[in-house]
Amino acid sequence: MHKVDRKSERHQQILKVFQAAVGPENVSDAPATMEAYYGDWLPPKTLGMSLPPEFVVLPDGTRETQAVIKICNRFKIPFIPVGSNQWSLTGSPNRPETVIIDPKRMGRILEIDERNMYAVVEPLTTLAQLHAEANKRGLYIGSPEASAQSSALAGHLFQGMWGVGFRLGVAYRNILGMEWVLPNGEILRTGSFSQDASCGFWGEGPGPDLRGMLRGYAGALGGVGMVTKMAVKLHPYPGPKVWPCEGRIPNQTSTLPEDRFKWYIIKYNSLEEAVNFMYEIGRAEIGGVVQKWPTVYYIWWWANSNEEYWETWKRRVFQDNVKHAVGVCLWGFTSAKQLEYEKRVIEDIIKETRGKPISQEVFDLWVPRTANNWIRDTNGSRMMRPSGTFLALRLPTDTLKSSIDVCKLGYEWVKKFSPPILDCDGPDWIGGYDFGHFGFAETDFPVEKTPQDLGDLMNKLLAMTKEDLQHGIENGIGPFLGGPYHAMAGPVFKYEKLLKGIKKAIDPNNVSNPPHNIPVD
Amino acid sequence: MAKVKEMLLPKDPRYLKYPLEAPFDKEKAYWIAFNCSRCSVCKWVDSWRVKSAKYARICPQHTRYLYDSHSGQGKCDLARALIEGKLKWEDDPEIKDILFKCTMCGGCDAMDKGIRDAELVKLYRWMRHEYIKKFGPLPEHKAMIDSVKQYDNVWLQPRSKRNSWAKELKNLGIKDLNKEKAEVLLFVGCTYGLSQELKPTIINIAKILKQNKIDFGILGDKELCCGSPPEKTGLLEEFERLGTANIKRFNELGIKKLITPCAGCYGTIRVEYDELPVKKKFEVLHVSEYMTQLALDKKIKYKKEIPVSVTWHDPCHMGRLGRPYVPGKDLDGVYDEPRAILKSIPGVELVEMERIKEYAWCCGGGGGAFTGFKDFAQWTARERLTEAKDTGAAMIVTSCPWCESNLRAGGIGMEEKMEVKNLFDLMMEAL
Repeated sequence: MHKVDRKSERHQQILKVFQAAVGPENVSDAPATMEAYYGDWLPPKTLGMSLPPEFVVLPDGTRETQAVIKICNRFKIPFIPVGSNQWSLTGSPNRPETVIIDPKRMGRILEIDERNMYAVVEPLTTLAQLHAEANKRGLYIGSPEASAQSSALAGHLFQGMWGVGFRLGVAYRNILGMEWVLPNGEILRTGSFSQDASCGFWGEGPGPDLRGMLRGYAGALGGVGMVTKMAVKLHPYPGPKVWPCEGRIPNQTSTLPEDRFKWYIIKYNSLEEAVNFMYEIGRAEIGGVVQKWPTVYYIWWWANSNEEYWETWKRRVFQDNVKHAVGVCLWGFTSAKQLEYEKRVIEDIIKETRGKPISQEVFDLWVPRTANNWIRDTNGSRMMRPSGTFLALRLPTDTLKSSIDVCKLGYEWVKKFSPPILDCDGPDWIGGYDFGHFGFAETDFPVEKTPQDLGDLMNKLLAMTKEDLQHGIENGIGPFLGGPYHAMAGPVFKYEKLLKGIKKAIDPNNVSNPPHNIPVD
Repeated sequence: MAKVKEMLLPKDPRYLKYPLEAPFDKEKAYWIAFNCSRCSVCKWVDSWRVKSAKYARICPQHTRYLYDSHSGQGKCDLARALIEGKLKWEDDPEIKDILFKCTMCGGCDAMDKGIRDAELVKLYRWMRHEYIKKFGPLPEHKAMIDSVKQYDNVWLQPRSKRNSWAKELKNLGIKDLNKEKAEVLLFVGCTYGLSQELKPTIINIAKILKQNKIDFGILGDKELCCGSPPEKTGLLEEFERLGTANIKRFNELGIKKLITPCAGCYGTIRVEYDELPVKKKFEVLHVSEYMTQLALDKKIKYKKEIPVSVTWHDPCHMGRLGRPYVPGKDLDGVYDEPRAILKSIPGVELVEMERIKEYAWCCGGGGGAFTGFKDFAQWTARERLTEAKDTGAAMIVTSCPWCESNLRAGGIGMEEKMEVKNLFDLMMEAL
């Protein structure tokens, strides 16, 4: 592993320049502090594939962030911008001299405009914070299944595959304005911020929609600078001003008012039938949440301890009841009457599609403790509990129908590589988005967190990914092309040249979290 | 059950069932650290419980010092690096701050228990102990530790002083359990017993118990420290000495119940003593638990109305750290009882802060911070007082000497004053 020489002239010089820019207390090069910035649930740290940063810098606001990024350019050292730093994902350093730009001093909600339904946030602000403030005003925002302690701003730059995506689509359409420090240190304002730095109500332009440079569905993964301020859409919310929650950790339950919210979990004989039901729900334009969860999700989110998880799994409580089931939460957005109308519609659809509600016993067991996580998630981090970690195959976005094919490929892989993949009953999560206009499939499964098992599986997954890319499972993988996928499979999409062109133009020193968004060196 | 045999389950049995009974040694510390997934729940109030952006944080240390190293996640990463040998204890003086500028309040621990089976506070305690083994007690804690070793109390007071409060109550006829028998031992604790500031509280408690004809006694100047301060600051040998001596003595006395008004003593005797080889033969209750039934049965006869709006501060060691950990079970604690007492006092209106019960914000006084890192402790207290003020209450009520003292210290210099009062002092005002 690379050893940092903290006494070297270069290190000391960089340290002093950072200190001058943001204040001595806001820069650290302490080895113990660096240890906290390069690990998470993914294997790189366990497999020795990532290394500690050399500095962590805490700028406050756009100007200080700009100063930090300019210093990185001056010394040609890589930087990685992070959000709330819940999971580092691609934010683990893989190069010496890396600087983590941690926005711990940028956690303000700068504005909530109730009338025009938007909020302006800084990078540390979590989705739970924004959700809570929005709820007070009769508004809401989604949260991903990765728990609502993730950054609202960074979540909009990453996938944004939130539980309410059936109603709201993916998060990037929510972005109304950005204040963005480019990798070369220039400040770019987009959308409404380009006209007036204090408010945001319009997302595109000026000129071509520059959100595409940052987004491309799953984000540039820190490869094109750092957004320090963002205006995001909020949406009308028929729920209570304070999130309903009863009980004590870890047995909390959440029940939203019955006159405005109603959960259904309807099971089918096959994945095809389940997806057909999702299409029909979309065609009727009803519902706030529509998700086809894999069996393992039911228990990952539900179980309150490892013992409960595996004991319940052994008894097949969920495997025998929720396979090919679809969860739907109807929302009476405008009135209780709307909910009554939607109930009648869904009952007709259930009848027509020959669906059956899951047993009341399992419904009562699962829904109060778990279902509302898809509106404001709090249990998502339980995914790592029963085996230390999980891994994901393929995360494509395509039609709902093609999600079926992806999930079935997932079944084959799980069968082929179990062990080390543990018991999971098939990794078939399909999220419906934009009233069924597209689907997102993710094939997640538990794997035991040991270096041997993880290493073995990682090699197999890398080989599989290369195969996928060469054989055309294209949509949705594109956004991840930037780093690892590109390195594995080489250029497979024509826009690779465009990405490289953008990266070279705005990041001439290749300092913004290389090799993201696309390797240029 | 044939299908069970075919299931591919984790090979390591610790994934099947958390090894609660295993000794908390290096292996267990590593297990907890290794399985941290950086989900960051240790930094925030449980998402379902977040009521505002302002009060969404759970960890005083992380909120104050900002770097992720100063959080539960960071301490897991640090433990992992130290155990794996990637970092040596002597490599970085920052390790001291990371480990000890922490109130050991268990906020991170409680949130973490919502998503995985682990005991973060015990991990920190193990790390502190390892640190002390290497470098000795912190200079900031040395006077307190020396006092415990020399006088069996944390306040550098001779043993004889411990009973001075009771001497003022000679006419009440409080039993001396060194000489007489009683079913209930009132374990006073070092701070209520020796602090001039807090003396009225223990006097009030004794009076209320006597008024209600409770058969109780005290140990007077023979009472020893419960061992909480050495336990929290990493001197586990000293904790073991005091704890073992206490359990043996209490068992010998034949008491049925030990009641204490100190949250620190309560959590230590009720929970931490379970780790010691000698087993308790008595029930442990906080005085508020003991008095709740009296209040609810209206045996306590209030004579005055106290027209005041109050908010209750949950001491960590009465609350989320006040019960032995059982994975999957509720993080119960003494939450409802003090609230029931407050509601029983005529005229008192209870309004809640946003962060309460198992997701309460710490007062800042625990884990050696009150003694060793006053700036941090008082900063944390000011955060709590601000939250209390936001409720519109005129008074913050609690029942922990450390919370009381630290909240008062934190309030000095704040523009808007907030009265800090002990639950039993408020009760006494109405009697």
